[in-house]
Amino acid sequence: MTENRDNNAKEQFTIRMIGLQQGASQEKLIASLQRLFKKKTPEEIQNALNRLPLVLSRSARKSQALKIKEFLESVGAFVELTDTSPVKGRGGAGLERAEDKNDAAPSKGDQPPMGEERRTKPRVHTGIKLHPMGIGELLDRSFRMMREYFWLFFLIVLIPQGIWFLVGKVIQPLLGGMEGREASMALGVGFGISAMLAFVVFIILQFWAQGALIHAVSETYLGHNTSVAGSYGAMRRILGRLLGTLILFSILVMLVPAFAGMFMAIFIPLLLSMGFGNVTIGFLVFFVVVVVVWFFFRLFLNWLMVDKVVVLEGKGWMKALKRSTELMKGRTEPGFWKSNKMKAGLILLLGFLIALGIQLIFQIPGVIFSVILKGSLVVRTVIEILNIVGTTLATSFTATAMILYYYDIRLRKEGFDLKMMAENL
Amino acid sequence: MGTSKEFLTIQTPEYVGFQYILAGLGSRATAFLLDTAIRLLFLLVIFVVFILLSRGLSSVDPAGIISGLSKNWIMALGVLAYGIIDLGYFLLFEALWNGQTPGKRQQRLRVIRMDGAPIGWLGSAIRNIIRAIDILAGVYPIGFVVMFMSRNSQRIGDYAAGTVVIVERSRGVPKAGTTHEHTGEEPQGDIEAYISTLKPKQYQVLRAFLQRREELDQDHRQQLARLLVQRLMDQWEISQRLDISYESFLENVVEAYERIRRAL
Repeated sequence: MTENRDNNAKEQFTIRMIGLQQGASQEKLIASLQRLFKKKTPEEIQNALNRLPLVLSRSARKSQALKIKEFLESVGAFVELTDTSPVKGRGGAGLERAEDKNDAAPSKGDQPPMGEERRTKPRVHTGIKLHPMGIGELLDRSFRMMREYFWLFFLIVLIPQGIWFLVGKVIQPLLGGMEGREASMALGVGFGISAMLAFVVFIILQFWAQGALIHAVSETYLGHNTSVAGSYGAMRRILGRLLGTLILFSILVMLVPAFAGMFMAIFIPLLLSMGFGNVTIGFLVFFVVVVVVWFFFRLFLNWLMVDKVVVLEGKGWMKALKRSTELMKGRTEPGFWKSNKMKAGLILLLGFLIALGIQLIFQIPGVIFSVILKGSLVVRTVIEILNIVGTTLATSFTATAMILYYYDIRLRKEGFDLKMMAENL
Repeated sequence: MGTSKEFLTIQTPEYVGFQYILAGLGSRATAFLLDTAIRLLFLLVIFVVFILLSRGLSSVDPAGIISGLSKNWIMALGVLAYGIIDLGYFLLFEALWNGQTPGKRQQRLRVIRMDGAPIGWLGSAIRNIIRAIDILAGVYPIGFVVMFMSRNSQRIGDYAAGTVVIVERSRGVPKAGTTHEHTGEEPQGDIEAYISTLKPKQYQVLRAFLQRREELDQDHRQQLARLLVQRLMDQWEISQRLDISYESFLENVVEAYERIRRAL
């Protein structure tokens, strides 16, 4: 009897719901799952169902697993059982990992799926209708989202800008107090290190905000709710990967002009010493500049989606760069201007022009103030604040448009909206 | 929850409702930038023409009596031409092209009156004269803020003229070039027998797939076609193997559905 109980304790089956049978009623299935997971709300279960396959338990006994399978299959689900009993000598069922308990119920429906699952099936709210958009509609949608979630996007981007501004305002009086002191090496080194530290912190905050904005725009676009804290919080786990990948991206892109500079620094004096004329060298420089600009933009556009890939698909480093290149490859519509890179370039150009307009709107009052009240500290501060507001709005708008473009490419290339509709046929 | 589009519903006295998709700031800004590029091109052409004219006149009249007088006239004409292009471009195009300019046409936008009627000369004149306030300093500071706040994305000129900018609906159909020939032995009648059970929503999904299949990656295209065919075969309880490709089968289903719907 004791031995039998021991065997039962060591038996461990994973129950996975892998699909829905043709004509299965979702309401019936939700009600049935609620009988198994009494603490879950129908919405949570619905969310979990949208992300099949779903792990219901990793530590069920064989008899329990068979009963659950029979029960769920009678209400229209496809259930798969896997024997995951621990191997003797490597710890028993009592050594179940804490995260397994979380996975055992649809409670993970609140968390966005990451990695491969996110890549293959974005978590789309059932009430949301997605469709591919033209450039104009995409920009319209960006504005509409800005209007609808103004404070969310604005505050996410404002946080690093605001901190930078406040730090500057705190440091300024300190620097003012030191005006009388003699400059010394130690003081200079101290300031240098502090400035560098402040810059590093600002860069980290800036990338963090970038990731948080991607998360917020993505969640709201797919019909979910999020908050400033929630968006920043969602980035905590992947901040290192995001920072690393973005720094790698920046280094690789900047290598192009760096190599070109080195090339010219070596070859121009060499050619001059060999007696080549200024016209020849001028042509060479022009040619190199054209090639560098072309190559720089090509690389930049290839890897434009890298931050979205890191945040939304959970990939990092070279894998993220590769995936971004894959997304930006080819064209999704016929026509020269409709290649993915060309469209991204046009969106960036239009976004830049619109963003320029937004910034000018906030700079015009500043210019008027400074003409009327010359040199006043209040006016200077007001101008700085207006600049920050303008930059924040312009950045949010352009970033939103690019995030929507990322989804647009995936809609066109992978047709995940069509897949969703097909599954619900 | 946000919708992907904003609509303007116009109700006629007979209580018939028309729904229009409102153009947002993005597409309107894009159209404006396109129009600005065209206007700049016009101005460049005029500038070149006037330079050539003034040079031509100096060669005809070496003493410079006529050309000196004419240069003033040419300058005045140049200023007038600039004014006509700057204001007249939008005014004329919107009045003559039924609420469209080249930029708006490219973006599939149209200006209409709030009651759904075409804009007309007066509406176009009011709307475009007041543009001067919206466009202040060339960056639309007032127009931009007003449009951002407006429920119907209207700028001051739109409010004054009682107009609104709408998006024209697309009438895309599955591309003829991508239609596959019916190669299989599947008799046409067989499909038609099942078509009556096809719901409009299902038809829309099939049609959307056929319209967008060229854009899809090959793997996803095949997966989707297989998934759609499987769903239909399950629904119609067809177990026999298809002799034609999945996409050809879907094309046949869509064609048959459209034929039957037209006949009805």
